[in-house]
Amino acid sequence: MTHLTTIDYVLMLVYFAVVLVVGWMLRRSTKTSTDFFLSGRSIPSWVAGLAFISANLGAQEVIGMGASGAKYGISTAHFYWIGAIPAMVFVGLFMMPFYYGSRARSVPEYLKLRFDEKTRSLNAISFAVMTIMSSGISMYAMGKLLNLLLGWSFDISMIVAALIVLAYIFLGGLTSAIYNEVLQFFLIVFGFAPLVFLGLRSAGGWAGLKTKLAEVAVGRGFEAGAMTHAWQYMGNSSQNPIGVEWFGLAMGLGFVLSFGYWCTDFLVVQRAMASENMAAARRTPLIAAIPKVFFPFLVILPGMIALAVDWHAPGTGGALAIAGGQGIVPPKIDPVTGAALLDQAGHVVLDYDLSVPMMLLRFFPSGMLGLGLTALMASFMSGMAGNVTAFNTVWTYDIYQSHIRKGASDEHYLWMGRAATVFGIALSIAAAYVAVSFNNILDLLQLVFAFVNAPLFATFALGMFWKRTTGHGAFIGLLAGTVAAAIHHGISLAAGAVPGVKGGYFGAHIIYRSELGQTFWTAIAAWVTCFVVTIVVSLMTRPRPDDELRGLVYSLTPKPSEGNVVWYERPTVIAVIVLAIALALNIIFF
Amino acid sequence: MSAEARFDIRLPIGALFSLLGIVLTVYGVMTRSDPQLYARSENIVINFWWGLIMVVFGALMLFFGRRAKERPLHSVAGEETEKREHRIGLERES
Repeated sequence: MTHLTTIDYVLMLVYFAVVLVVGWMLRRSTKTSTDFFLSGRSIPSWVAGLAFISANLGAQEVIGMGASGAKYGISTAHFYWIGAIPAMVFVGLFMMPFYYGSRARSVPEYLKLRFDEKTRSLNAISFAVMTIMSSGISMYAMGKLLNLLLGWSFDISMIVAALIVLAYIFLGGLTSAIYNEVLQFFLIVFGFAPLVFLGLRSAGGWAGLKTKLAEVAVGRGFEAGAMTHAWQYMGNSSQNPIGVEWFGLAMGLGFVLSFGYWCTDFLVVQRAMASENMAAARRTPLIAAIPKVFFPFLVILPGMIALAVDWHAPGTGGALAIAGGQGIVPPKIDPVTGAALLDQAGHVVLDYDLSVPMMLLRFFPSGMLGLGLTALMASFMSGMAGNVTAFNTVWTYDIYQSHIRKGASDEHYLWMGRAATVFGIALSIAAAYVAVSFNNILDLLQLVFAFVNAPLFATFALGMFWKRTTGHGAFIGLLAGTVAAAIHHGISLAAGAVPGVKGGYFGAHIIYRSELGQTFWTAIAAWVTCFVVTIVVSLMTRPRPDDELRGLVYSLTPKPSEGNVVWYERPTVIAVIVLAIALALNIIFF
Repeated sequence: MSAEARFDIRLPIGALFSLLGIVLTVYGVMTRSDPQLYARSENIVINFWWGLIMVVFGALMLFFGRRAKERPLHSVAGEETEKREHRIGLERES
């Protein structure tokens, strides 16, 4: 456990004070429901763009990507370079014209305009439950981490963070969330960049890191370069730490999962919908992609460095070193015996989630440590805030206004949005406590939502680019895709896993080398099923007349003009630049 | 639609980073001769140097934020969305 000094607390307090002041100052500009839920559609694209990535920059990204870096090495960057980046370019160039141009106020509302009420409700309800859960899990992870590192009370740190988020969203709505997300973005960059700098220096630069990780890779039974090359060992799932072959990776992660998330998830798309005009909305994900393409260096590298450095520096917490770890990544501890956990082969199981927090403690003196921890807390809070703002919008527009009370006054919906913020946060806290006592229930729920989400992109792609798609087709296709995901998961298992939540409940007929391999192929099965079933059912049902689909489908919508803007503001130009950078990085780290 | 405008986001960013940067820089100056403290950060007085960089970033943000002209609270697109809400009866006209 580490003790913070006064200076660390001063830095944290400065941040929290600024966050609350921003919320307070924005309260006066939040008068209508459009202000509250869509920022009056007046956000400039660079602000919306930074909020677009920051809303996703929650605990999962900062802690999770560092953990994956320590587990899989540079291959983790596939989540960015063939995952997020192409999907963000696609949503900006091809999908935003329909989201923004249709004047829909949410992603489920687009489904209502394009298809029908039942498709919207299916999407809205599963999305609402999911946001509450993820925000709860984010809070749980934060409370647990602060308790472990600093000995803070789990309950108090969680509730204080929740109250701060509540205060600024309640006052300023989406604008407040977006402004704070931009603050959080810069704070995370400034908090983690020196960590990478110091870490690389200590490990002997990229060359030194490569040498050290070669030993780690060999120790784990791979070839020397397996942790520092992204593609070279992707030919065969047994040769790379991810345990997937290139096709499953490109299709499952690159296409189905990434497009499904970045192109259809209202949590991120809401930021683009708040832009001031169509051109700005299209630029939002593209501007977001520019820093995103470099994020692997900020969030994945620290995890890799954690394997290559040690505690042997005077003044560092030697007491933090636990026998059996690798680098500064500690082993997982059995809560009953207090000894390091071993897997079936007798190897120590590492607690990868602690890679990034341990890096902070290893390299940052008092002062910088306060800044680093503030950045970490900011990431948890932006994850929570993103979920809560998406929840209050979907609840108010897609559930309350369409099923409970239609045609009320604007003040009423504004009031409902604020009320939804309060009970959304209360429900998140409840979800966090569920996570404390029944960890398996949340694992199970997350699994169910993975099944619901996997086929989504097929529905949107068909809906936007094939005008013959019908509401019945979309609805039945979604259900079929979800069922297909559940069946595939039920007949497959990752090597070494026990049948149950991990799959195999219908018998383990297919064995994957890793859980990620299983996840990617489950997504592929769901997507293909949804795609085929939607087409078949659509062809059997009556299409909507062309007139009703103007502005909602590609062939019936005038192509958005790039406008009279300077070349660097044109969506296609930004898209080409971003894709070229991503390609170059793939080649450099091949 | 009100004539009010929202403050530029660069102002709070500038304020936050200037404040954090000043605190870190001053702390760095005070502790610069403490080798024990900076052993872990490769003997670099990271508080001072990084604090300085943050002050510069914060000052730039304040400078550009003050120079920017105020933006209207609502955009044309925002108002069209509201009109659509009223037209299809999602919301009562006030």
